[in-house]
Amino acid sequence: MKRIALVEDDLALRENYIAALTQHGYQVDAYASRQAAHDAFNLALPDLAIIDIGLGDEMDGGFTLCQQLRSLSTTLPIIFFTARDNDVDTISGLRLGADDYLTKDISLMHLLARIAALFRRTAALQETSETNTSHDTLTVGELVIDTLRMTLSWQAQSIDLTVTEFWMLHAIVKHQGHVKTRQQLMDESQMVVDDTTITSHIKRIRKKFSAIDPSFDYIETVYGMGYRWKQGAQS
Amino acid sequence: MIFRLGLRAKLLFFSAFLFCIPYLGYQYVGELETYLRIGQEQTMVGTARAVATALHERPVIFTEQSALVNTVKPGTDLYAHPIKYPIQLDGQLTDWGDYQAQFMHYGQAHIIEQQPGQDYDPTSLRFTHMVGQYGRYLYVVFDVLDDEVIFRNENALRIDRNDFLQIAMINATGQFQRYVVAPYQSGWVNAYLLDNSEETFVPLKLETRIQGQWLQSSNGYHIEMRIPLNMLASNIAFAITDVDDRITRQHELTIGTANPMQSDALGTVLIPSPEIEQILQGLQYANARVWVVDKHKRVLARSGDIQSAQGLDVTDKYDNANSRFSTVASSTKEESSHILSRIVTHIESNWLLPLYYTILSKPPSSFVDDLADAYQLVGSDIDKALTGKPETLWRVSSDKQAVILSAAHPIFVAGEVMGAVVVEQTTNGIRTLRNRALEEQFHFFLSVLVLGTLALFIFASRISSRVRRLRNDTEQAIDAQGKIIGSIPKQTAGDEIGDLGRSFAQVLDRLAQYNHYLENMASRLSHELRTPVAIVNSSLENLAISNTTNHHDNVFIHRAQDGIKRLSLILNNMSEATRLEHTLKSSEPEPVNVVSLCDNVLENMRMTSQRHFVLDNQIDSDTTLQGAPELFAQMLDKVLSNAVDFAHADSDIRLALTQQTNTLSLSITNTGPLLPEGMQSQLKESMVSVRNNDDQQVHLGLGLYIANMLALYHGGQMRIDNTPENDGVVVSFIFSL
Repeated sequence: MKRIALVEDDLALRENYIAALTQHGYQVDAYASRQAAHDAFNLALPDLAIIDIGLGDEMDGGFTLCQQLRSLSTTLPIIFFTARDNDVDTISGLRLGADDYLTKDISLMHLLARIAALFRRTAALQETSETNTSHDTLTVGELVIDTLRMTLSWQAQSIDLTVTEFWMLHAIVKHQGHVKTRQQLMDESQMVVDDTTITSHIKRIRKKFSAIDPSFDYIETVYGMGYRWKQGAQS
Repeated sequence: MIFRLGLRAKLLFFSAFLFCIPYLGYQYVGELETYLRIGQEQTMVGTARAVATALHERPVIFTEQSALVNTVKPGTDLYAHPIKYPIQLDGQLTDWGDYQAQFMHYGQAHIIEQQPGQDYDPTSLRFTHMVGQYGRYLYVVFDVLDDEVIFRNENALRIDRNDFLQIAMINATGQFQRYVVAPYQSGWVNAYLLDNSEETFVPLKLETRIQGQWLQSSNGYHIEMRIPLNMLASNIAFAITDVDDRITRQHELTIGTANPMQSDALGTVLIPSPEIEQILQGLQYANARVWVVDKHKRVLARSGDIQSAQGLDVTDKYDNANSRFSTVASSTKEESSHILSRIVTHIESNWLLPLYYTILSKPPSSFVDDLADAYQLVGSDIDKALTGKPETLWRVSSDKQAVILSAAHPIFVAGEVMGAVVVEQTTNGIRTLRNRALEEQFHFFLSVLVLGTLALFIFASRISSRVRRLRNDTEQAIDAQGKIIGSIPKQTAGDEIGDLGRSFAQVLDRLAQYNHYLENMASRLSHELRTPVAIVNSSLENLAISNTTNHHDNVFIHRAQDGIKRLSLILNNMSEATRLEHTLKSSEPEPVNVVSLCDNVLENMRMTSQRHFVLDNQIDSDTTLQGAPELFAQMLDKVLSNAVDFAHADSDIRLALTQQTNTLSLSITNTGPLLPEGMQSQLKESMVSVRNNDDQQVHLGLGLYIANMLALYHGGQMRIDNTPENDGVVVSFIFSL
C-alpha cells in the first residue's frame, strides 16, 4: 500500500483528505506541523508527500519541509497544496523541486488523478531502470514524450515538467496544429484556474524549452483562443 | 468668471496701507510748522516790544514831527520819501524816475484861489509834485502843465505878475515865513523871502538857501528845488499861481498843497526821523524788517530787508533745495568713483525731489514786495497796535509767493500811543525747514515703503510658491482615478506650511496603506476563503464518494458542489487582478505588433463566437508598442468579450485603429445598451459591474478593471463612453508611441 504523507495544519481539511485518500486505497500519515513531519521524515520516507506551504505560524514551513525531503530523496514525488496562488510562491515552490503546485480549490478527483499519475511515473521509472523496456512514446519532430513516465526530451535533452505542465504540453502536442483553448487545457490538466494561470504555465513551459534551445518557438499563442504546436515542427 | 486674487496680490493690496505713513508724516510736519509759526509770532512780538521799549517816552522824536496832528489830509500833509541817490538840480525829471508812484496829482481838488466866475480848465494849470529827503535837504519837484507859461518881466519889480511858486513854512524858530520863486526865464532860481505882512507879495530879500532849477518844457515847466531841513520845523505849504494874460497879468488860478497865506492852514511834511533810524540801525542784523510808524501809520523809519528776513535762518544748517541742486551737480564730479552714491544722488535730484516738489511748495528766492517804497502802512495789526495792544498778522505777498508775518507793538509817550513798531518776516525759513524735514522723511518713507513692499512681495511669493508646490505635489500624488501614485516630498520647514506638507504626506501615507489594504482585499479574501471552501468541497466530495446509494441525497450534494464550484471561481477571479499585477511586474517588455495582433485576435474571436467583427485599420501594419503580446491580447479579449456580451444580436463589433503624431488610438465599439449615467469613470474600477444580474455567469466587474491595468502596462489610457450617436458603447485606448 502506497504511503502518502499529508502535512496540513487545518484539522477539518486534513481529516477530509485522510478520509478520501484512505478510501482510495492509500495509507495516509497526516502531520499538523512542520516539526512533526520533519521528525517523521527523518525516521521513514513516505512514497509521496502533499505539503501545505503555510504551516501554523511558519509562513514558509512547507518550503523548508520540501527542501528537507529533496535532500533525503531526489525522486520522491512532492505536491505543494496551498491556498496561495501567486506566481512568486508557485515559482519558488517548483524551484525547490516539487513535482506539482496545486491550489486548494482543486477538486478531490483532480488531486487523486495527479497522485495516481505521479505513482504511475515513479513505478514506470523504476521499471525502466530495471527492465529497460520501451513504452508509449509520442514523437513530434525533435520532441519525444513518454506519456507513461511523464518525461519528455527536446533535441534529445530531457526537460523536467510538473504534472500540470506535462499534461498541458501533452494536450497541445497530441493534436499538432490544432488550437487548444484554455478551457481545454484546464480540462486536460485537471484543474480549474483562470486565464492568467494558464498563461503563466505556458510561459514556464516555454522557458524550460528555451533553456535548452534559445530559438524554441513551437508553442504558438493563438490570441483570443488558446495555444497550438506549430506545424513546422513535424518536419 | 470670478476674478481670482493670489496671495501676492492680496499682500500687495494690504501693504498699500503703508502709504498712509507718509501722509501721517506730512501731517506731523504740518503740525510742527504751525508750532514754529506760533513761535515765530512770539519772537516777533518780542522783537517789536524790544524796539518799542527803546522808543517809549521819547517825545522829542514825535513832537518834532507832524505826529501831533490829529488828521492827515493826503496832498496837504506831505511825506518826504527818503531818496537813495543824490538829485541833480537841473530841471530834468530823470532823477525822479524811481519815485513816479510817489508823485501826487494836483488839480481841481486843490484849488486855493481862482478868478471868480470862472470854471476850472485842466489845461490851464495842473501839476504833479513830490517831496523827498536826501542828506540834510528837503527836495521838492513840480511837473507843471501850463498852456501859457508867463515869466516875470525883465524890468518888473513885482514878483507876482507872472507864474510863480509860493512856499510857506514855519521855520525852526517857529516863525511863519513865505517865499516866492518867480524867475525871469528858465534857469537857476532862488526864493524871495516875502514880507510877512499878509496877502502881499513884497520881496524882502533873496533867500539863497532855497535854491533850484526852473526849466520850461514843451507843455509847461519843471521846478526842482531843495530846502535845508534845518530851515523848517514841520509845517509847510506849496502853491503855484498861474498867470495867462501877458497884458493884464491877473492871477488866474492858484493850486497848492495848502493855503500858503495863512500860517494855521499849512500842511505838514513828515521827514523820516534820523533819530529813530539811528536806533533802528542796530536792528539791521535782526533778520527782520522793522518799521516805525506814527499814529497815522506813516513810516517814520525802516530798517532791514524783507527778502532776506526769512525768520528761521536755515540756510547755514541745511542747504535749501535750490542750492542742493547745484551742489549735487558739482559734487558728482568729486565723487565720480562712488558710482552708487552717484546713482543715489542722480535718482534723488532727477526723480525724487521733483516728485516731492509737486506736493511741496518751494519758498521763492524773491517775491514782490508791496511795501518796498511805502510811506504809509495798512493792516489790522497796526490798527490794533495803535489802540495799545500788540498784534500779529499773516499776509500773503501780492504775487502769492511768500507769506509774511508782521507783528506790531505800540509806542507810548506819556501814556498815549504815539506810534507803533512793525516787525516783518517771511515764513520762508520755516517753509525751507519744513521742506527739508519732509524731504528727509519722504526719503525714509520711500525706502521703507519700497523695501517693505519688496520684502512683503518676496515673502508672499515664497509662501505662494511653497503652497503652489505643495498643491502640485499633492495633485501629482493622486491620479485622475484617485489612485495614489506617489508621495509628497518630505517638508523640512518648521512653519505652518511645513506642518501642512508633513500632515499631507502623513495623510497620503495612511491613505496609501488603506488603499493598498483595499486593493489587496479581494486577493486576501480569496486567500482566506480558499481553505474553508476547500474544507466544504472535500467534505462534499467525501460525502459523494461514500454515499453512492441514496440518489435523493446525491442531488443535494451535486447542488452543493455546483455552488462551491462557483464560489471557488469567484475566489479565483477575485485574486486574478493581484496575480496579474505580479505577472506584470515580472514580465519583460517586448515589441508588440499591434495590427497583426488585433487581426489575430479578431480572427480567433470570429471562430469562437458567432459574431461579426470588423477591423478598421488606419495605421501602418508594422506599428509596434512595447509590452507583452499575450497581455495585450488578454486586454483586447476582455474588452471584446465584454462587447460581445452587451452587443445587440447580429450587430457588428468594430475595432478601429488610428494614429496621431505620437499616439495610437484603439477603439472597440458595439451597439447596445448605453452606460448608466455617471458610471463612465467608475467602470474601470475593481468590482464595478453594470450587468443585469439575471444571467448565471459569474461577473465581478473585473474585466474592464484588468483591461485598464493592462492598458496602463502598455503605456496607455482607457476610456469608456457612449458612442456619439448614442446607440452603443465605445471603449477607447490611447497609447503613446
